[in-house]
Amino acid sequence: MRLLRYAFEEAAASLWRGRRSSLLSTATIAIALFVTGAFLIVTSNLERMAEEWSGAAEMSVYLEDGLGGPERSALERDLRTDASVTSVEFISKEMALARFRQTFPDLAQTLGGMQENPLPASLDVRLRSSSGESAPIDALVTRMRTMPGVADVRYDQDWLDRLLRGVRVLRLVGFSLGGALLLAAALTIANVVRLALTARRDELDIMHLVGAPPAYVRGPFVMEGALHGGMGALAALLVLAAVFFSARPHVLTPLASALNLSSVSFLSPLLVVLIVGGGLGVGCLAGWVASRRA
Amino acid sequence: MIETYHLSKVYSRGVYALRDVTLSIDKGEFLFLTGASGAGKSTLLRLLLCAEQPTEGTLKVGGRVLSDLTPAEVQSHRRSVGFVFQDFRLVPRFTVFQNVAFVMRVLGVDLATQQRKTFQVWKGVGLQHRMNAYPEDLSGGEQQRVAVARALVNDPQIVLADEPTGNLDPDLSLEIMNLFREANSRGTTVLVATHDLWMIRRVGRRVVGLEHGRVVEVS
Ligand SMILES: Nc1ncnc2c1ncn2[C@@H]1O[C@H](COP(=O)(O)OP(=O)(O)O)[C@@H](O)[C@H]1O
Ligand SMILES: [Mg+2]
Repeated sequence: MRLLRYAFEEAAASLWRGRRSSLLSTATIAIALFVTGAFLIVTSNLERMAEEWSGAAEMSVYLEDGLGGPERSALERDLRTDASVTSVEFISKEMALARFRQTFPDLAQTLGGMQENPLPASLDVRLRSSSGESAPIDALVTRMRTMPGVADVRYDQDWLDRLLRGVRVLRLVGFSLGGALLLAAALTIANVVRLALTARRDELDIMHLVGAPPAYVRGPFVMEGALHGGMGALAALLVLAAVFFSARPHVLTPLASALNLSSVSFLSPLLVVLIVGGGLGVGCLAGWVASRRA
Repeated sequence: MIETYHLSKVYSRGVYALRDVTLSIDKGEFLFLTGASGAGKSTLLRLLLCAEQPTEGTLKVGGRVLSDLTPAEVQSHRRSVGFVFQDFRLVPRFTVFQNVAFVMRVLGVDLATQQRKTFQVWKGVGLQHRMNAYPEDLSGGEQQRVAVARALVNDPQIVLADEPTGNLDPDLSLEIMNLFREANSRGTTVLVATHDLWMIRRVGRRVVGLEHGRVVEVS
């Protein structure tokens, strides 16, 4: 406890003495964490969007005209027992036509001239959110296609998989970029700490000679690194929050509703903790490495 | 308490700073180390602090061979030694009070005790009026007294003092010697390197003389 207090006081004093270069290293780690955080906000929202979309995922099983009631019921039962199915709704030819008229009033007139209703009856199937496993649904689609009485199955979710894959790539890019910037920030911190250490070489020699334990000699430098990292993380979070919350009402929310996303959210508390922890950790490590020869 | 066997120290230039020194200093003893400049006094004291490693021979303090100590043990050995450096070695960034309190701080002593003991030793060296000054604001003699205060504040088992009165007038020198004698009467082993023969006679304790790194007289 006393050691921590000592290290903190000394580190704060050293930080203040070298405030110019401290500002630089704090800024570099802030930028690194800002970039990482921005990518995390974007990817976590996109991921949630993909989840919401796939939660609303529907499969349409089109039925052949003239399919009897019992056969249809058998198909419905079959679908309901499948694990990836949440609900099944029967849409008769008439209902399909009514729906079509409602959605496309202009086109409905041409259709009205026709003798017969060209729209097929269908079973509209709601599927469980498919984030992760798509194999069971693919299997279901293939099986339905071969069932007697089924004219066609429409299930077009490739784009959703592509979106999810895109999010993963984006996240990877974010992490690589953030990681590279963090490495640069760690090197900057290490250099700033090493500078402070060189300036205090005589003092450190004296501390060694009066028997100061290594933790007392090195602690302040590790703490100084941690302070850089922690302050950088806080600065990054503040700027991220400022940008996010000022852009939300005018830009982000309209964008979200255009994309059928219920809301856009900031970093989760866990991610905030991770960013602060990351900053502290990187700073500590940099200070620890820089003070090897203290 | 302190034993040396055929101890030698050669610096890089090939000069023997110490040559075949065999000495034994009892616990609670007060001993002067004397000799002309360059005789090897500082070298012996630095070896005792583990600030240098012997070239040949062994050095034991409290029954332990110093060259066998791990780095952590070296630090703890140093904390049991009060060392007065010839060039004071005060931390310029600390006030002189902090310089003294620091050696207790790194032992985890609480602030109240740090202050009480620092005040106590501070009165002894006669610097009550200069506690918040920085080393550079003090005269050589005053800095020397700060260095003495720092060496004594922890109630060390051994005091090693390298020319601790080199910058002081006779009255102050004797006061400093009295502080060492007080510590000595509480059981501290004291080893003072000095070429001040007048003071040695005034204090009247055992004397070891060095010449070109060899022990030449023991009285
Ligand atoms: N760091 C060093 N490097 C090289 N030679 C040294 C060093 N320190 C002392 N010496 C030499 O060792 C000899 C003894 O020096 P020292 O122990 O300082 O003597 P004293 O303290 O009695 O004046 C001298 O010849 C000195 O030049
Ligand atoms: Mg000397």
